[in-house]
Amino acid sequence: MSTDTSKYLGLFVSEATEHLEALTADLVQLEKDPSRQAVESTFRHAHSIKGMAASMGFEATAALAHRLEDLIQLVQGDGSQLTRELGDLLLSAADALLADVRCAEKGEPIATHHELEAKLSAQWSLLSSASGRPNLGQATPSRLPRVGPARRFAVRVQIAPSCQQPGARAFVALKRFSKLGDILELKPAMQDLRSGSIPDGVLSFELESPADEQAIRGALSSVAEVELSSVVPLKKPLQGQQRPAPISPPAANGSDNSRTVRIKTELLDYFLDTVGELSLATAQIREIGKTLPAPVQPSLEEGVGRLHGLVKDLHDKVMSARMTPLSTVTDRLPRAVRDLARRRDRSVELAVSGAEVELDRTILDNLSEPILHILRNCVDHGIESPDERRAANKSEMGRVAISVRRERDRVSLEIEDDGRGMDAPKLKLAAVAKGLLSADAAERLSEKEALMLCCLPGVSTAKDVSEISGRGVGMDAVKRALEELGGTLEIHSQTGLGTRFTLQLPLTVSMVNLMLVAVGREIVGLPVAKVLSALELPASEILKNGEAGFLPHSKGLLPVHQLSQLLGFPSGDTPTTRPYLVMEGDQGRVALAVDRLLGQEEAVLKTLTRPLDLVPGLAGVTILGTGRPVFILDVPRLIAT
Amino acid sequence: MPKRVLVVDDAIFMRNMIKDIFASGGFEVVGEASNGVEAVEKHKQLRPDLTTMDIVMPFKSGIDATREIIKQDEHAVVIMCSALGQESLVMEAIEAGASDFIVKPFRAEDVLAVVKKVLGEN
Repeated sequence: MSTDTSKYLGLFVSEATEHLEALTADLVQLEKDPSRQAVESTFRHAHSIKGMAASMGFEATAALAHRLEDLIQLVQGDGSQLTRELGDLLLSAADALLADVRCAEKGEPIATHHELEAKLSAQWSLLSSASGRPNLGQATPSRLPRVGPARRFAVRVQIAPSCQQPGARAFVALKRFSKLGDILELKPAMQDLRSGSIPDGVLSFELESPADEQAIRGALSSVAEVELSSVVPLKKPLQGQQRPAPISPPAANGSDNSRTVRIKTELLDYFLDTVGELSLATAQIREIGKTLPAPVQPSLEEGVGRLHGLVKDLHDKVMSARMTPLSTVTDRLPRAVRDLARRRDRSVELAVSGAEVELDRTILDNLSEPILHILRNCVDHGIESPDERRAANKSEMGRVAISVRRERDRVSLEIEDDGRGMDAPKLKLAAVAKGLLSADAAERLSEKEALMLCCLPGVSTAKDVSEISGRGVGMDAVKRALEELGGTLEIHSQTGLGTRFTLQLPLTVSMVNLMLVAVGREIVGLPVAKVLSALELPASEILKNGEAGFLPHSKGLLPVHQLSQLLGFPSGDTPTTRPYLVMEGDQGRVALAVDRLLGQEEAVLKTLTRPLDLVPGLAGVTILGTGRPVFILDVPRLIAT
Repeated sequence: MPKRVLVVDDAIFMRNMIKDIFASGGFEVVGEASNGVEAVEKHKQLRPDLTTMDIVMPFKSGIDATREIIKQDEHAVVIMCSALGQESLVMEAIEAGASDFIVKPFRAEDVLAVVKKVLGEN
C-alpha cells in the first residue's frame, strides 16, 4: 500500500515555502554571523524540506535538500568556510528548491538537479577533506547490571536486506540484548556499526547473561526487520565488563508555548465579509424599526443595539485575526538587498526594526512589491559605489534602514538610505523635458513637491537604465499601489546624506470613511482621505476656457471635472451655486463638480467581483443602512480614462 | 481499547501524515507536539502508549526530549522518526532510550509493522 499524498499537497506547499523562506533568511544571516545557532536553524529547515519532499515522493527535491543539508552540516564545524561563493551556491540551491515547490503546487513535473547536486557534492568533498567529517554520537549502549551467575551465549542476528538503516536497526537489537546482559566480541565492531557497515546484514556477538536461553530467544520479539538466526550456549563464563557511567540528562530549555492554528486566508476573508454583511443587516433592521409604531420601537431599538454591539465586537476579533506581523514581508528583504548589492558591486547593510508591528494581511499582501521597489532604488541609485563613498568620507558599507512604528490607527514605515540623496533640480528638468510640467510650474514647486516628481510616469534621474531599477515603471506604480491601500508616500532627501521614503499606511483597509455625494438621482462615495477640501461656488467664479472650466484655488487654477460627465449620468438641473471637491488626480489637483454633498459615513468596503472589477474608476462598493448600494470611486483613474 | 499515540514533529505536514497512518492502523492519536519542549510536557500530561519523535526540531531536539521522557517514565515507548542521513542520530537516540525508529519517507505498512512489533501486538 502506498500512501496517497495528493491530499497533503496544499500543506506541503505552504509549509515547505515557509521553511525555504526561513532557510534563505538564515543563509543570508549566516554570511554575516556564522554562529552555531544560525547554522542549526539553517540545517533544520533544509532537513525538514528533505523529509517532507521525500514523503511526497518528490525525489529530486529531496535529493537536492539532502545535499544542501550535508553541506550546511559541514559549515557547522567551521563558520569561516562560508565564503560568498559558497553562500551563492547554497542560496541557488534554496531557490531551486523553492522552484520545485512551485512546480509541485501547479502539478508540474519536477526535474532533477544533477548539475546543482554535483556542485554541492564537489564543495562538500572539498570542505570535508579539509576539516574531516563531523563526528556524531559518542555514547555507547547502556546496560542493566547483571544478577545471578552469568552464562555466555553466542548470538547471531540477521538484519532484513530491505532495512534502510541497518546500523540503527543493529543498535535497536543490541539494546534489547543489553538489557539481558553484557555484549562482547561484537562483529562488526562498534565503529563499523556506527557507520552503518554490516556485511550481509549479519550481526554476531557473545552475550554474558544470567537469563535463560528462552529469554534470550525472546529478546527480539518486539523488534521489526531482524531475525534471530541462532543462540548457542557457550561453555566457559567470562568476566563481565565495567558498567559505563549513566548518561546524564541535559537541563530543560525555555519553551514557546503560544498556541496557534493555521487557517486558510480565504476563510478569514469570508469571516470578514460575513461580519460586514451582519453589520449591514443590523443597520437595515434599525432603519425598518424607525417605520414601526412608537410602542414597539424601544424594545426593538434595545435588541438592535445589543446586536450592533455583538457584531462590532465580532468584527474587531475578526480584524485582529487578520493582523499579520510585517516580518512576513521584511524577512525576505535581507536576501533581496544582498543580491541587489552584489549585482551592483555595492556593500549594503540592511537594518530592520519594528517588524513585529501588525497590519491587515490585505495590506501586507500588497506592500511587498512597493517596499522592494523602493529598496531597489536605494541600492541602485542611492548608495554610491565603495570608491565614491570613500571619497565622500563615508564608510564603504552603505546602510539602508527600515523602521516601522505604529501611530494610533496608522503605521508609519520609513526606508532610509545614507547614499547620495536625490537631486530635486534635476527631477524638475526631467519633468519639464518630458512635457509633464511647464518650466514656470516647475519653478514654483517646493523641494518636497519636486522630489515627488519621481513618482510621475517616466521621470527618473538615474543616469543609466540598470538591470535592477530605473526602467521607467517604478515610483509611479509604488505611489499608486500605496494609495490604493489608503496610504501615502513622502520623500525627504538631502544631497550627499541620503533619502528617506515615508510610507503612511492604514492598519486595515476594509472600513472606509466615505464622502457621499449626489449626482442626478445617483449617490456615489468618495474616500474622505482623498478629498483635500470641499467648497461651494457660484458658476460665475469658474473661469471658462472654451469647454474647459478652471477653479481658482490657492495652488493656482484647478481643472474642473463634472462628475456626471465622468460617470455618464444625467445631471439634475444645475444650480448656479454648487459644491466642488478638491481632490488629488494623477496629474495634480483637480476640482470635481457634484450636485449635492450628502455627508460622511463610515462604511464597510466590499471589493468588486467580476465583471464589475474591470470597470475603471470603481474602487469598490458599500451598502448604506437604507440598503442602497453605493459605488466608491477611484477619481484619479476615473479622470484618466 | 485502541493504543494511544503522541505525535511529535515540527512540520504539521508530517504530523498529519503520521496521524493518518495511525488512524488507518486503528490507533488513537491523543496529542501532538511541534518541538522537544512541548513533547516532554505533553508526554507527562497524556502518558501515551507510544510516542513518535522527530529528531531535528526547534527548542529541543528529539533526542534530548526522548532522554527526558525516559527519565520521566522509564517504560515510555518512543519511536524515532529518522530520515536519510540520520542513522547516527538514531543510534544516539536509541542510546538515549528510544525503543525503535521509522524511516522517512513513511510507508504506512512499514510504520505499523514497527509500531505493532514494539507494542508486542504481533
